[in-house]
Amino acid sequence: MAHAPDQGIEIGIDIGGTFTDAVCRAPDGTLRLLKVPSTPDDPARAVATALARLAPEGGAGIARFLHGTTVATNAILEGRAARTGLITTAGFEDVLAIGRMTRASNYDLVFGPQTPVAFVPAERRLGVPERLDAEGRVVLPLDEAAVAAAARQLAAQGVEAVAIVFLFAFLDPVHERRARAVVREACPGMAVSLSSEVDPAIREYERSCATVFDAGLKPVLDRYLGRIEHILRDHGVPAPLQVMHSRGGLLGAAAARARPIRLTLSGPSAAAIGAAAVLREAGCPDGVSIDVGGTSADVALIAGGAPVLRDDGSVAGFPVRVPTADVLAIAAGGGSIAWIDTAGGLRVGPQSAGAAPGPACYRRGGEQPTVLDASVVLGLVDPASFAGGTLALDPAAAEAAIRRVVAEPLGLGVAEAAEAIHRIANAAMAEAVRQVTVARGSDPRGWPLVPAGGGGGLHAAAIAEELGLRLIVVPAAPGVLAASGLLAAPLEHDVSQGFFRAIGELLPGMLREAIAALRARCAEAMAREGVPPEAVETEIRAAASFLGQGHTLDVPVPLDAADGAADGAADGAEDPGEAIAAGFREAHRRAYGHTRDAPVRLVSLRVIQRRHPAPAPVPPAAPATRRPRGERRIRLGGVEMAAVVVERASLAPGEALHGPAIVEQADTTLLVPPGWRVLARDSHLSPLRMERQE
Amino acid sequence: MSSPDPAPDPALDPALDPGTVEIVRRRLEAIAEEMQGIMLRSAVSPIVREANDASASLFLPDGTVLAQSVSLPLLLGCLVPAVARLTAAFPVATMRPGDVYLMNDPYDGGTHIPDVSLLVPVFAPDGEERPIGLAATILHHQDMGGLTPGSVPTAATEIFQEGLRLPPLRLARGGETDAQILRIIACNTRTPDAFAWDLDAQIAACRTGAARLAALAGKLGTDRLGAVLAALVRRAEQATRAAIRAMPDGTWHYADALDNDGVDLDRPVRIAVAVTIAGDGMTIDFAGSAPQVRGPINAVPAGVMAGAYFALRAVTGADIPNNGGCFRPLHLRLPEGSVVNPRPPAAVNARTATVKILTNAILGALAQAVPDRVPAANSGLSVIMALSGRRPDGSTFVLTEAVQGGSGGSASGPGVGAVSTDIGNTMNQPVEAMETDAPVRVHRLALRRGSGGAGRHPGGDGVVREYEVLRGPLTLTFRGERHDHRARGAMGGGDGLPSEAWILRADGAREPIRSKLTTVLHAGDRLLMATAGAGGWGPVAGDTAADPAANPSEAPTA
Repeated sequence: MAHAPDQGIEIGIDIGGTFTDAVCRAPDGTLRLLKVPSTPDDPARAVATALARLAPEGGAGIARFLHGTTVATNAILEGRAARTGLITTAGFEDVLAIGRMTRASNYDLVFGPQTPVAFVPAERRLGVPERLDAEGRVVLPLDEAAVAAAARQLAAQGVEAVAIVFLFAFLDPVHERRARAVVREACPGMAVSLSSEVDPAIREYERSCATVFDAGLKPVLDRYLGRIEHILRDHGVPAPLQVMHSRGGLLGAAAARARPIRLTLSGPSAAAIGAAAVLREAGCPDGVSIDVGGTSADVALIAGGAPVLRDDGSVAGFPVRVPTADVLAIAAGGGSIAWIDTAGGLRVGPQSAGAAPGPACYRRGGEQPTVLDASVVLGLVDPASFAGGTLALDPAAAEAAIRRVVAEPLGLGVAEAAEAIHRIANAAMAEAVRQVTVARGSDPRGWPLVPAGGGGGLHAAAIAEELGLRLIVVPAAPGVLAASGLLAAPLEHDVSQGFFRAIGELLPGMLREAIAALRARCAEAMAREGVPPEAVETEIRAAASFLGQGHTLDVPVPLDAADGAADGAADGAEDPGEAIAAGFREAHRRAYGHTRDAPVRLVSLRVIQRRHPAPAPVPPAAPATRRPRGERRIRLGGVEMAAVVVERASLAPGEALHGPAIVEQADTTLLVPPGWRVLARDSHLSPLRMERQE
Repeated sequence: MSSPDPAPDPALDPALDPGTVEIVRRRLEAIAEEMQGIMLRSAVSPIVREANDASASLFLPDGTVLAQSVSLPLLLGCLVPAVARLTAAFPVATMRPGDVYLMNDPYDGGTHIPDVSLLVPVFAPDGEERPIGLAATILHHQDMGGLTPGSVPTAATEIFQEGLRLPPLRLARGGETDAQILRIIACNTRTPDAFAWDLDAQIAACRTGAARLAALAGKLGTDRLGAVLAALVRRAEQATRAAIRAMPDGTWHYADALDNDGVDLDRPVRIAVAVTIAGDGMTIDFAGSAPQVRGPINAVPAGVMAGAYFALRAVTGADIPNNGGCFRPLHLRLPEGSVVNPRPPAAVNARTATVKILTNAILGALAQAVPDRVPAANSGLSVIMALSGRRPDGSTFVLTEAVQGGSGGSASGPGVGAVSTDIGNTMNQPVEAMETDAPVRVHRLALRRGSGGAGRHPGGDGVVREYEVLRGPLTLTFRGERHDHRARGAMGGGDGLPSEAWILRADGAREPIRSKLTTVLHAGDRLLMATAGAGGWGPVAGDTAADPAANPSEAPTA
């Protein structure tokens, strides 16, 4: 449900590891793209730089300002979160240290802590008397004096944020809420997070992880978002700050401050939204995107016009069960290093040369051959025009590295060795795409692939061929997919409740009441963002399993089944419990290849409300530039061939370009192998279609 | 795709270009992982979903492992003897599409009775008549009958008390399932629904694995795939041999003991190993280990192999492709009639404890050869606690939990408390899941501070847990270890504290548990357990050498 077009300039800025990307859309739909170096010591500085360059005359005309940030994840990874304490049920202070007693790597004899003990060490994990049972009944009342004493003890240790995690709080938050009130009274200004709000679901260790991270991020995000708001004020920007959350929606800054754990996948989910928007423009509701950067490739699945989600993600290797775009990151990118293992096998990655020292062809001290070096040797990348000509590559250095490390030890020619490296990188990426599609029971062959990042276009055709895909949709600006995704993202809130009960034990009335209460909470959040109720789109999801299973599947709850509650009568509408059970059984068959008519357990319910942005105005057609076309020798499939080299902006509307060909643009290179052809749309600002011919 | 020899020269064989070999290796591992995922996510037994007690592998028709899922190392290689016996009983040449085979008999290639192995032959899509490979899974089923729920009776003295033995059987022929076999099993398990369910998960996993391997053969051609697979196996063997050759030659000894066999509570059970490295081969000899015992801790060879494979892989390097080639340089000497190679009808269900101790003994011997790679002794236990009873509707429930100790201190740092080590990597039960599934209340879950051995790098701590029965009677099966024999320190580090456990009866009586016990608990009774700490590494320098901030076992307390 779209709202009226925003009359004004829209700006999306996404902070990545190396670059901060910005997209600025004028009211007539014209786009401006900008990349500025990221400033890890103070990420907001790059935002200020980008804003100053996009709006040098001041920000008065800016109607929307949207932001994607890695600040939350980096604070956890780099130990820069606030000093955090934990107040928990007495007797269970070590749950966070003990975890699930597993280790990440099976064959390591020597390893370090496997749980976030460094985030909240023992002296900051305090127990207080209280207890709920497995039915959610109070069996030991909360000792409020103990809570106050614990809060003061933590404050005395310099703690800025407190997580409150009580056993079974997901069934009844009464003790956690009371404890929060006590902590606030004892220590005004202390940031507090409740497990019953952050992750209301069974399993105390996983819930503890999400809650302590959320608490520890609150002071960090509060300061950071305050900095950005200050920058916006300084530039005279009237638009409120909105931030991308991990599910692929935008939140107002106040909501983001209240639940910062939701921002851990801000950037990758923005890129997934960007891919969804590109697919929509190409007329495809479903597809897969692969964003290939220097050290990693992110694969995201798009279904029904939106990123597919997961709720069993992790941050820094620790479980964080907050719904996120289901982005699979693998260690395969342009900087991935090729090496020979002890069995004499050729491997690629997971080590990466990164941006510094970078691939051998950068000539910045990198001596190990990388995937990009292989692309240069194979002629796929033009050394002179890489990154818009800003970084001249040295093909001789690429060749030398591949010869020394790979070709000579394996008795291969340099070109053969380069091609082997290129194929292994292709296979690693295809394997990741397979993992999120075929291995989860879906057949991707009818889906398009969206390549993004600097390297996506070099590997897309090979990935597609491996998995039987026939269509590749190349975004107009593949290098800033996340920033453009910000402009396309909906404003979105969600709230959830844990159950962990057999559906047969839940009366339809109870379920409808629970759904109605969740809807009311969600609607309040949307209202606080200034969204009128009639503009809100509602979705209801259930996480369910068979009794006894440990993993859940996510199923939609039909609105009409949920709506029986509105007038208190079912009115012949489907029982929501039965709808969930039936949907779950079918989802189980699809995912695992078997199912049965057995009792289903409801693990949690979630209500999501959103408002989509207005459709993007169609930009005025830009004239195609008429640049001369070149030709380059490339090597593919063991064969040397001549490829036509074309600048993307020079493709005439409706023109078909047959492979072997290479389409270049400032931020990426698209390889069109033999058997594929590119079809230019009416404007080079539209996504480019590349099809497989048979 | 026949035997891996003779080895073609890679330079002459276009099938063996390095890109293709690596792409196939990745594909095989991904297939095994996909099979594993199907089992873990759809199985209903808590021990599978929380303890990861299932494993998937692809094999060549000759029984050589091609790829294994990353799973519990205790299951590493456990499918090897199972597949060997299944293919001996049903020659590969006679297998047809749609066939399914299964077995669990510990004396015919199995491990212990709850672990059921299942095999599906893989056929190339080009219509060749002989299988090109085998897809196999092993999964710990919740109950296969026998003396006690869960089929791991601590007091068993014969395998006949441990549950239903299944020799190699053909469960399905050409897509037709033999319902008689399923009916026999259904009559012999306390949890027939869970069995049927988890068997479906195993079959679905094998069928998916078979389809994926067939697709790979279709893409590459059967012969070309065969050449690549043979090369992968050969290279893994060569790399493992090279790694062994780089270790010093010699023989190293280590001896340890289990507290008792669960039946004769006063008699420790000795485990002795001699590890010999000679050139590019390794021999592990268990001469001097105890004769087989009456209790159920005897370990059949499949389990011993898993421990030996783990130790070998852990010291030779993780970047070697994980397939049957890795295991060829290893020779095991298992004295017949001993606790590591019992004769029927010895009881074998509780072999995990034995495999833990013997794996740590192998590592203890290897530590003398390569001290920089091996830490001080891990706690070396995985306490198995099973509670069973009846639900209000009369059905039986079994709640099994594996409780760990810590990892040993090492040259590079302190050990970690409360973590699964070596052949184990199982999850504990969340308190909230346990209280939802069974009428118990957990009162305490804590690190057992100070239980790890002292040292420059202290050993990891064990844990303390306290449970109360809310509604009885419940049958408690408790299989503890390290009550009498401590995990040893290394390089001057101290030993870990031993395990302790008690039953605190509702009337105030306090009954110590001597390592292993089956008893009945009533409402108000409590079980209190404290697991052993791991060994410390290096002498304590002065009084304050241990850095509490670097160790999750923080400051010692009582």
